[in-house]
Amino acid sequence: MNFYRVLGSAPNETRLELVNRRRFLLSSAGVSAAVLGGPWVGAATAASEDDLAFANFGVSAEFLLKDFYSKALVGKKFRGPRANVLRQGRMAATKHARTLSNLLVSFGDTPPLDQDFEFAWPRRTFSSAPATVKTGLIVLRALLGTYQSAAATASVVDYRILYASLGASIGEQIGALSALAEPVGAKSFPVATDVETASAAIETYLG
Amino acid sequence: MRNRFAALFAIALVAASSLASSAGARRQANPLTIYAAASLTEVFSSFDRAQRYNFAGSNALETQIRNGAPADVFASAAPLNTQRLFQARMVDKPVTFTSNRLVLIVPRSNPAGIHSVYDLKRKPVKLVIAGAAVPVGGYTRTVLRKMGLTSVLSKVVSQESDVKAVTGKVALGQADAGFVYATDARPVRTQVSVIRIPAWAQPRIRYEIAVVSRSSHKAAARAWVKKILSPRGQRALRNAGFLPIPKASR
Repeated sequence: MNFYRVLGSAPNETRLELVNRRRFLLSSAGVSAAVLGGPWVGAATAASEDDLAFANFGVSAEFLLKDFYSKALVGKKFRGPRANVLRQGRMAATKHARTLSNLLVSFGDTPPLDQDFEFAWPRRTFSSAPATVKTGLIVLRALLGTYQSAAATASVVDYRILYASLGASIGEQIGALSALAEPVGAKSFPVATDVETASAAIETYLG
Repeated sequence: MRNRFAALFAIALVAASSLASSAGARRQANPLTIYAAASLTEVFSSFDRAQRYNFAGSNALETQIRNGAPADVFASAAPLNTQRLFQARMVDKPVTFTSNRLVLIVPRSNPAGIHSVYDLKRKPVKLVIAGAAVPVGGYTRTVLRKMGLTSVLSKVVSQESDVKAVTGKVALGQADAGFVYATDARPVRTQVSVIRIPAWAQPRIRYEIAVVSRSSHKAAARAWVKKILSPRGQRALRNAGFLPIPKASR
């Protein structure tokens, strides 16, 4: 089974590079070659309905997150190392969106572009550090819940590994972002959510 | 001398006004023939009543133009139809002129108790959608695929030839739910309830317009396309609920 990687991001620049399944997942999730060498590699199956929903929602929410971090940086409520938390978060969101876009392309789907969205942030979202953090956490928790569900239910082990990795990254971002305002203790068991619930949580921001 | 000037001026005025009125009469006598997607019915008809319209599914209009139908302008609800005709050199280069959103509509009485798109999967429903070749039918399938709900296609009781037929069936209570453009739900808002589709699941809806190559009124057709792209045309579309030209198409 062939996979294609999205190379350009502008609508007229989208180019696809043929990659094999192993290389796609290696570069996407950063999982080890030893893991990918397991007996299930190559047992390609068609994407399930849930696989499609997780990836489509994930790409869109990561674009939203990228926009959140960009606007939070422009808001200038965070300086120095605190601003770096936002920069790293933005970089992670960009990488996650690209990875999930590639996954959708491998399913034979056309991934969304960030230009497809008119994100709508409430007026005072970026007016103070606590307000910024509060909104960011809503988006991050919705994504974490979805990735937890995807890591448990995706149809192929490869995808589960990918979503576990994405979930861990979002968990790290939740910790880092919380520390910028009012540090709170880590949750013992963050709740997994379905796409419907996560979508409802961030729908107002997606425009 | 002064009287002669006045007389000449009066003659010139009469001549000018008679020329203008004959031009107006010619325009009325030879309106443009505009083939447009069914979803543009209300907005185009009220924007310019002087033209002759043929509203239908864009795929059907494409076929008619391909078979030599005497259209001057083609406005499609999906780029696929205009671009195919452009490739065949049957229309000039198409331009994007507006956008739209898909919604789910249910009859006001909502007999199936549908409150979210996900309810289509959970509850027994009679769903009506447009055929796969019709732009709105293609967009519907994209939404269902993105949301992981393609299994609800098994609940489709009827596939229609255009969006107005889908709207009509739901408004009359002949189906429990149907996917239509947001702009098509507006004229029947007293008969249906609208359920939003999340932004992340929305398809990329682009309307394109082009002058038909065989048109014998190409200058007038080009002027009409310009009128649609003008601030006045764009305002009329926005007032009807259409969305601005998407960022990616500007």
